[in-house]
Amino acid sequence: MMMVAEMPWLWAGLLAYAGAMAMAFRGVWRVSNGGVAVANSLSYERWVLLAIVTGVVLLAMALGVRWERLGHGPFVNLFELLMSQLFSLGLVYSIIYWRVPVLRPSAVVVMPLIWLLGSWILMLEPADSRLPPTYFNNWLWAHVSLGKIFLSFCLVAAGLAGVMLLRTVPRFAGLLKQMPDEVLDQMAWRFMMLALVFDSLMLVAGAVWAQDAWGRYWSWDALETSAFLTWLSIGAGIHARLSYKIPSRIGALAILAIFGLAFMTYFGTPYFSEAAHKGVI
Amino acid sequence: MRRLASTRLTLLGMAWLAVSAGLSYDDPAATSVWMLTSPMLFLALNLLAAIITQPGINRRPGLLVFHIGLFGICVLAAVGRLTFFEARFELGQGMPFSTEMLADVRQGPWHRGALEQVNFTQGFYTVDYAPGLTRGSTRSQVLLPQANGSVREQIVGDDKPLLLEGYRFYTSFNKGFAPVLTWTPETGEPVTGTLNMPSYPMFEYKQDSEWTPPGSKPIKFWLRLDTGYTKEQSWVLDGRKAKGVLVVNNGERRVELAPGESVDLPGGKLRYEQLSTWIGYKIFYDPTLYGLFISAITAVLGLAHHYWRKFASQPLLATPERREQALIGNRTVKA
Repeated sequence: MMMVAEMPWLWAGLLAYAGAMAMAFRGVWRVSNGGVAVANSLSYERWVLLAIVTGVVLLAMALGVRWERLGHGPFVNLFELLMSQLFSLGLVYSIIYWRVPVLRPSAVVVMPLIWLLGSWILMLEPADSRLPPTYFNNWLWAHVSLGKIFLSFCLVAAGLAGVMLLRTVPRFAGLLKQMPDEVLDQMAWRFMMLALVFDSLMLVAGAVWAQDAWGRYWSWDALETSAFLTWLSIGAGIHARLSYKIPSRIGALAILAIFGLAFMTYFGTPYFSEAAHKGVI
Repeated sequence: MRRLASTRLTLLGMAWLAVSAGLSYDDPAATSVWMLTSPMLFLALNLLAAIITQPGINRRPGLLVFHIGLFGICVLAAVGRLTFFEARFELGQGMPFSTEMLADVRQGPWHRGALEQVNFTQGFYTVDYAPGLTRGSTRSQVLLPQANGSVREQIVGDDKPLLLEGYRFYTSFNKGFAPVLTWTPETGEPVTGTLNMPSYPMFEYKQDSEWTPPGSKPIKFWLRLDTGYTKEQSWVLDGRKAKGVLVVNNGERRVELAPGESVDLPGGKLRYEQLSTWIGYKIFYDPTLYGLFISAITAVLGLAHHYWRKFASQPLLATPERREQALIGNRTVKA
């Protein structure tokens, strides 16, 4: 692997995330073994939060160093996209972890999902990139930022859905046990609703950017088609849940499927499309 | 009306739209325009019926605004597909725009525009390049005749289109050089025109073309350029600073011409007037653009308002104290 200035910061950030994941599992393990005081479960959460925040700060340093070195933000190649997503997912999740303590045990699902990206980026070369002229546009910032918030909310929903499914495994049966499936289901879909708002804003900002940059607001390229199908699936999921009585575990599977589709939109599309967006030349 | 507002029909419409989106992937113009417009209009009807008949929607302001916004998007997106216009063309320096030069024309069956009334003339252009031939900003000068007889100059390029009669003209990455030639036949009037060479610098080493004068044999041309281009350093492509020698070969003779020079060939005299440039444009027309934007923003604001009120009335267990209470309460219940 090529050694560039941002790599030590990236590795350190990933190490902090790994620490957060390990502590989250250890805490849940102890709690689920029974006989652990509430104070203990809250104290492990503080360390998990500290580790996530440390990871976020270290990844911000990695992004800053790369930005300074290349002269542009992390918008172009897969290495940059993964690095910026690791930062933004950690940032949004740490805020939710801090502000909504009741959801903290979801870290045992969320942190491994974040680490999927972490292990992926370790397999990539930190190749330098050049910013295409169509990227010098303020709508790009709005599009990217809103997309990151969207994926973060999707991730939290997937984390809660994962908890619901994980509880079917005896070892994790006590996970978030003060919240029955019905309550978790409600919370998970609440995050999907927030995801829908930010996904919609992301698509609007992206369409304005595309109109400015490439002379068309929508051309059904691989990324646009996949992003639209993701939006449609969230809308259909929320609509179906409001209209019919869907068992919470089926709902959890639907959330994970939607997260999978969103994940593919972000990170899978470059593998079956010559360029992420048609106009990127 | 209530049947039309069915939530089952909504899910059916969504599934239909998803299939249509999948089939339109990569090239919607290759499929029928109704492929996408049919499910959109179907969903628009379903939305309209739901807005009118469902109290769950029309008595909640946020949800009502959201559904009205969605209805607007469905209708406008469908109208946009029926009225859109897209095309490409290449325009030489000093040449006025004409609809005769359009290529790759695609348009909706209901397109009614005033493209014939568009009037502008191409000026110079410059393109920035970073080391390694990485393209940067494009600046293209267009000259717009005014009602009082004067000419207004405007610089367009990249994300700054030229807006005329509702049409948006975007510069493309395609651009190159064009020698201006005058052919004076042995009998008849001289004719002046340009010969667009392949895109530059993409085809830097393939600057050749062919032209057959009326009643004569084909002539091959090769343009040897000096543009100051270096791969290692930043560089600005500027036709006004470029120089080019035109190599003319009619199969019998090979002659090199500088601007202003001429050569006698069988059937007439060819004069290389000057080196000029051409640049590619893409035209986009969709009368629903602004309406779509307003509808989309309205829908999102309505949805955000609805969720804001919904979540405010059912807050999450946000504070550590409440979290602790929940945990202790749970243990107490268990005990």
